[in-house]
Amino acid sequence: MNREQVTPERVRSANFTPSRLGRRGLDEAEVHAFCEWVSDGLGRLLNDNASLQEEVLRLRERLLDGGKAKSGVQPEDAHVQAVYVLSKAQQTADRYVADAQEYSRELAEDAHLRRDEILREAKMRASMILDEAHTTASQAASATRTTDEPLSGGERQELQAEIAYLRTYSDVCRTHLRAYMESLTRSIEEWERAERNGTGPAKVPPLPSRNAAVMPVPAPQQA
Amino acid sequence: MDEQRLKESFARVAAYGDEVPLFFYSHLFLGHPELREMFPVSMVGQRDKLLNALGRIVSDVSNRDALVPFLQGLGRDHRKFGTVADHYPAVGASLLATLAHFNGTAWDEELARDWTEAYTVIAQVMTGAAADDETLNPPWWGATVVGHERRTMDVAVLRIAPDIPLRYVPGQSVAVQCEGRPRMWRFYSMANAPRLDATIDFHVRVVPGGVISSTLARGVTVGARLRLGAPVGTLQLNMASPRSVVLAAGSTGLAPLKAMVEQAAALPNPPRTHLVFGARTSAELYDLADLEKMAAQWPWLTVTPAVSHDRDFRGETGTVADVIGRRVPLAEHDAYICGSSAMVRATVEHLRSIGMPKERIYFEDFGWSES
Repeated sequence: MNREQVTPERVRSANFTPSRLGRRGLDEAEVHAFCEWVSDGLGRLLNDNASLQEEVLRLRERLLDGGKAKSGVQPEDAHVQAVYVLSKAQQTADRYVADAQEYSRELAEDAHLRRDEILREAKMRASMILDEAHTTASQAASATRTTDEPLSGGERQELQAEIAYLRTYSDVCRTHLRAYMESLTRSIEEWERAERNGTGPAKVPPLPSRNAAVMPVPAPQQA
Repeated sequence: MDEQRLKESFARVAAYGDEVPLFFYSHLFLGHPELREMFPVSMVGQRDKLLNALGRIVSDVSNRDALVPFLQGLGRDHRKFGTVADHYPAVGASLLATLAHFNGTAWDEELARDWTEAYTVIAQVMTGAAADDETLNPPWWGATVVGHERRTMDVAVLRIAPDIPLRYVPGQSVAVQCEGRPRMWRFYSMANAPRLDATIDFHVRVVPGGVISSTLARGVTVGARLRLGAPVGTLQLNMASPRSVVLAAGSTGLAPLKAMVEQAAALPNPPRTHLVFGARTSAELYDLADLEKMAAQWPWLTVTPAVSHDRDFRGETGTVADVIGRRVPLAEHDAYICGSSAMVRATVEHLRSIGMPKERIYFEDFGWSES
């Protein structure tokens, strides 16, 4: 009950537990706490009262001073008041502009982060594709090197198949990479258009999915 | 006019900080609502400028050699805002009312007389300079965008054609305002030495949340109209120096330095020049192709790209300062630096720490920070 307002009703209706067996009267701790609460509350009220009294005196003096100089508000004062009102309005406008700028800065920074992430991912994917192509190609090369004997018809055929495979492979690589890059560029352009038109990034078309088949490797041709 | 009294009374007023210009502008607009149109919606930056200018005028009140050119510049510069001599009395009256208000009981007739006298002189110098300038230059230059190239996600290179040729020295910049963004001006450096066809290049980097930079980099297209203020800035190639030159460019801080390279190219004996062009990643070296073409054409020019946040980059990695420290024998060079505040500060500090004398370091702080 500590910070609650002291009211006549609360004081009048205060209830205390009777003392435990062997002692007379009311629970001592409860009574002490109650008195403490009443005295705190009274202290606050007295303080409030004093500051209100001061305020009343101050206002009364000002009123009398004003009355002495001239009746009512002076035109100079009125002008200063008007200046203050306009200043307040200006500060409100300043705050709105600052908020809007802050908001757009945050949006732009978010977009930058997202863009960096997309580019990083694309780069990673590209290097993965190249690595894989490289591995396959060097495997094929080492396979041909192991055969020192003149090529038989069958071997020649096999090798040509291998070359055809590699060509196909690199074609597929390139096509998919290009398609992926193009769709990325398109997404970024859409995104920018949306940004320019003032629609938020929420309405931006989805980016190519991370799991979209970027590079279906052709099944190795078994001779 | 008692200068000491003037300074003391201003110190009393300045203690109220932002409240002072806030009161001043409100007082001015109440009496002359038509003047409000000349200012942007948000007045935050404007208030800082006013307080700084007043502070500078008062502190230099006894130093006429510094004060007069400052006021003349201010007077000329105000032409682009549409300020005319008729506006000065209204401003003076509001200034006096503001000073009286914040001086409180300390304000008396003598102070009022001092300030009236001071403002009369200020207004005379400013309007005089503006009037002289009127015979030579328009209040602002209209210009058309004739080229717009987005070099990276954040950087665009604009080519503009002013209606009337704009005379400037490489290294200088102009305030730019674009259609649809009235009363907002941002400074951009000319990125080329003056051309016969008078076209000018600007390198614009998007500042997150920056209204003008985003508009110029992404919003405008060929045919868009701009307004340019008079050229300003003190970063200039010291032609009298016998030393070689090192140019340190951080991102679009390249613009004024590139203009200086073109200026040097027109000299009979261009100084040996080493341009270090820095960016965070290699993709952000937005003008490298052009710079390398220049270096191939001019034997006295060396261009070194420096990349700070890209481990895969095959060239020099690190900040511009790092690369200069590694590549340039500083004893024989003058250094010119332009870029973000952080880049300029770090580069100046680094050059000082490795023994370059202060008077050989020239720099321009673009005031933006890299995020």
